[in-house]
Amino acid sequence: MTTTQTRPAARRAMTANDGFGAQLRAEWTKWRSVRTTKWCAFLAVALMVLFSMLWALGSSTNANEAGSQRVDLFRFTHQPLAGDGEIVAHLLSQENTGPLAKAGVLIKASTEPGSPYAAMLVTPGHGARFQANWSTDIAGTPGPAPRWLKLTRTGGSVVGAESADGVTWREVGRADLDGLPPTVEAGLFSTSPSTGMRTIRHGGNTSTAPEYRLSVATFDSVALTPATPAPAGAWTSEDIGQTITQVDDTEVHGSGTQSGGTFTLAGVGDIANLGFSGDNDIVRDSLGGILIGLIPIVCLGVLFMTSEYAKGTIRTTFTASPRRVRVLAAKAVVLAGTTFVIGLVAALICLFGSRPLQRERGFRAPAYPDPSLADGPVLRAVIGAGLFLAALALLSLGVGAILRRAAGALTLVMAMVVLPGVLGGLMPLSLEAWLGRLTPLAGMAIMQTRDRFDYVVAPWTGLAIIGGYALVALTIAAWRIRRRDV
Amino acid sequence: MTRTLRAEWTKWRTLRANPWLLFGALAGTIALGVTVAWALPLPTCEPAATCREDTVRLALSGVYLGQIAVILLATLAVTNEYATRMVQTTLAASPKRLAVYTARATVVTVLTLVAGAIGVLGALALSRPVLVGHGFPPLSLADGPTVRAAVGTTLYFGLLALFCVGVGTAVRHTPAALGVMFGALYLVPMLAQFLTNQVWQKWVIKLAPMTAGLAIQATERLHGMPIGPWPGLGVFALYAVGAFVLGAVLFAVRDA
Repeated sequence: MTTTQTRPAARRAMTANDGFGAQLRAEWTKWRSVRTTKWCAFLAVALMVLFSMLWALGSSTNANEAGSQRVDLFRFTHQPLAGDGEIVAHLLSQENTGPLAKAGVLIKASTEPGSPYAAMLVTPGHGARFQANWSTDIAGTPGPAPRWLKLTRTGGSVVGAESADGVTWREVGRADLDGLPPTVEAGLFSTSPSTGMRTIRHGGNTSTAPEYRLSVATFDSVALTPATPAPAGAWTSEDIGQTITQVDDTEVHGSGTQSGGTFTLAGVGDIANLGFSGDNDIVRDSLGGILIGLIPIVCLGVLFMTSEYAKGTIRTTFTASPRRVRVLAAKAVVLAGTTFVIGLVAALICLFGSRPLQRERGFRAPAYPDPSLADGPVLRAVIGAGLFLAALALLSLGVGAILRRAAGALTLVMAMVVLPGVLGGLMPLSLEAWLGRLTPLAGMAIMQTRDRFDYVVAPWTGLAIIGGYALVALTIAAWRIRRRDV
Repeated sequence: MTRTLRAEWTKWRTLRANPWLLFGALAGTIALGVTVAWALPLPTCEPAATCREDTVRLALSGVYLGQIAVILLATLAVTNEYATRMVQTTLAASPKRLAVYTARATVVTVLTLVAGAIGVLGALALSRPVLVGHGFPPLSLADGPTVRAAVGTTLYFGLLALFCVGVGTAVRHTPAALGVMFGALYLVPMLAQFLTNQVWQKWVIKLAPMTAGLAIQATERLHGMPIGPWPGLGVFALYAVGAFVLGAVLFAVRDA
């Protein structure tokens, strides 16, 4: 190992000129003095901002208007109740299809969806509740079924009460219902909101829709006073509201049966004010232009290495600093730092620049409040945009250093980035989810700011995945660069 | 013209990577198509034909992989000459620029068409037993929509070569040209997922080159598509011819 033995003077000269700081400066000088770099940096920001604006223009929502929309879908076993009176029932059991499944007694102006109502009900997750007209919601005792439930109508007002034994009653709430006709419908109901989103795929056709499961509730000791004389006084059971269709085109129909004194009801839907149901991730959407903005960044990363090979300056570089891995490290630091800043600047412009356009198209408070950098996930998304581009640039640099040719390296990186997304759509769903988790584009998860059913990777995990790719590429590059001739 | 053609053909075949890229185009098309057919879940309908599964499109989905080789091949055929300054020699030898341009485009396009046709027929032929094994009705070239998909996909390959020659000539820079092609083909349609407006989403699918062009592969549920097979390929042809003409004009008027 004679090569490592340098004379003291030479060693001093080396430490002066060949320190990592000097190396960084050399690479920074190369970075900023090449015209292509400036073009790539400008294009990355410009394309990202341009597409973000376009996409803000092309997106709209009525989430705020829909906030007043009411869901009125349930299974109803009822009979008319003329004038004042009450309905009592003992809810024996309720199938737990979700914390917000509802079953109980109901007084409703008519079987028409949207007509005034008052309900004394039990939910598996939130105990007994008295609810009326989509606005009143008063909590009773916690805990699931069984429970005795009672509604008493006096003129325009309805009182809800619950009991553990059917003897001692506890009033839960009272509501005044405007426009309640003299004869109303009173009875039992059961309903269950969507249990989540379900996606199915036949070949290349994918569809997603909410998934519904019938919730079965059983009652006994049902009493309506005063009893309506038959035939009008017989129990009628029917689905209220439009029929629910699952994603596989099957319709969900409720059922209501009576045997002896036991009533069994199975229903889906909800009686609820959905509130502001907007579930779009507007921060991520406003950063979506990064998909196009990444092209110049990949070019930049690849060219930062391959153009040295193409122009032959790599020989000069390696003569000036024979520690090749250190050259690669310096390049990596300069590239990561600059692309991080590019991503950060572009993300800030996109986020706040597209905000007025989004607001005009319905994405405004209360459903979509303005994003703020003081909010953790938003800050993570903005910084994450920079980190994502930096990791992608490092991956490109590594592949460029391994292949030494711009065309091959660029194609390989682009194929790694785009192909899984395209191929995923043709694969079975489970395979697609794995492709989404294991490819460099998983890094885009860092820009997610809320939970959505179609997200397959957590933010930091996604960033770790693309970081892993970059690390592997750079490690192989470091090994190859040491071993081979330039 | 014949001599220019021969010169371009000689240049093309003497580059070692070129035959491999051509082979990659057809091999990728076949390999991915068969894989997708193999990964297809078993039919849930009885008989399987009532599923109306678009098995032709799935068998031909290898295009998504195979076209990468075509992009490289057709782009490099142009931009490599600029990288090596070979273009100056070429133009010194044959000063009729449009003839050079046309000859180059012809060589690349014809070769791509041949590779594409072999890839398409190979993918259909090799997917057939796989699909029959799954219980799907056999693919047949006696079926009109299947022929449309096969011929259309081959044409798509040829048009793509023209597209790349045009873009490569206009840009004259390998990474830039490849970046434009990958962005236009693959990334623009991916942006559609960020759009919440259905109308805009449909327009992206109608106007993005790849999604429009590959609409030609559809054989089932045509009414539900944002754009029909032939209009879709027409949109792609507009892009290809537009890029080709732009390349021709720039090549003719610009200093090399």
